[in-house]
Amino acid sequence: MNKTISTNVIRAIILFLAQIVVFKQITFSLGGMAFIHFLIYPMVILLMPIKTPRPVLLLTAFTFGLGLDMFYDSIGIHAAALVFTAYFRNLVIAFIEPVEGYNMNDVPTIKNMGLGWFVTYTSILLLFHIFVYFSIEAFSFVYIFEIFLNSIFSFIISFIVIIILQFLIRTKY
Amino acid sequence: MYNVIQLIVKYGAHLLFVVLQVICFSLIINYNKAQKDIFVNSSNVFAGKVADQQTKIVQFANLKSQNDSLMRENANLIENIIKIEYSSDNIPASDSLLNQYRLIPSNIINSTINLSNNHFTLNKGSRHGIQPDMGVIASHKGLLGVVRNVSENFAHVISLLHSQTKISCAVKGRKGHGTLMWKNMDPLRMNLESIPKHEFIAVGDTVITSGYSTMFPKGLLVGKVEKFVIPPGSNSYSITVKLFNDLTNAQYAYVIQNIFGSEQLLLEKEVGNE
Repeated sequence: MNKTISTNVIRAIILFLAQIVVFKQITFSLGGMAFIHFLIYPMVILLMPIKTPRPVLLLTAFTFGLGLDMFYDSIGIHAAALVFTAYFRNLVIAFIEPVEGYNMNDVPTIKNMGLGWFVTYTSILLLFHIFVYFSIEAFSFVYIFEIFLNSIFSFIISFIVIIILQFLIRTKY
Repeated sequence: MYNVIQLIVKYGAHLLFVVLQVICFSLIINYNKAQKDIFVNSSNVFAGKVADQQTKIVQFANLKSQNDSLMRENANLIENIIKIEYSSDNIPASDSLLNQYRLIPSNIINSTINLSNNHFTLNKGSRHGIQPDMGVIASHKGLLGVVRNVSENFAHVISLLHSQTKISCAVKGRKGHGTLMWKNMDPLRMNLESIPKHEFIAVGDTVITSGYSTMFPKGLLVGKVEKFVIPPGSNSYSITVKLFNDLTNAQYAYVIQNIFGSEQLLLEKEVGNE
């Protein structure tokens, strides 16, 4: 149990640093229309153990998001999107539950749950997160076309990076 | 208290979610200029729409009083037009002459249009200064009739569309005058008789009141000459006049009060009695 907590805290710190030091600096522009952001930090929430209580998820998401916002100069936007994702994580997990169910100590990684499950799980929540993020950033559905464009391209890039990271770094908890 | 705690235990996560989202959004709106602008503007647009609807409803409720004030204003304007008509005379007009005509705005509350003798009723009567034999007009452009009877609050008016209507009219810019009558049961057309046939008139000429009566001042526009014939053996034209106004849907009326009308009638009566 202690190992779970320490693993998650360390992962959160590493992801936080990676996001603000590395991935924040890389932004592609696609013909001046879509802006591709690398948003890999939702992994903090995605990789927490399956049976994590919801309040813990929400509070983690809130603090992590606010910390990120301080570096992105967008107080509240990442926090709001990440809290949304944390709230709906349990719904998605229940929705794609395998036939044999989950174990108490399952961690949603490729190693534990298999590639197929992980891809479904990550793509649903990541797309949701990115869409919510861009919607809140635009703050008005007048820009619905730009929101969709940004979401789709950013999702593809971030998703690829997350899968690669999963293969590179394997954690037990 | 116990229930409250139970509720928090049961729905704590959802509650926490809502609370965190409220915090996030208040942060977003307070600390991000772009989002704040959009939020403020949208709420402005929303508030503007609500205020707009409210104004519309209030305006609708005020339509009646607004109409009344507009009619009063119209009455003043038509009075001015009549004044101008008289002030262009060669004889300099005295102030009393300029103010010879006053208009009393009123509403038509009952009317017939498709009988051979049509009448209508106004919602103002002797209390407001209306007397029998006053002229009634729809605007500067269009006559309505002549008051026949008045009660304290209502006036009964003989419409133009009445077999007994006889109004002295002239053709603008031409000499001679005739009598406007209603013969052909068409609510849009009347007949102008007894303009002598040696005068020249043309189709399209404007027919105006001649001012040779106490009912109507001169120069009110009545209609246009649509066609004219000289009946065989007659000395005068028979002119069909297309009226400017449609009497079938008249709603508002101005009663013309001729302040010196009774004086004029009295004088003429004395001459007639001799």
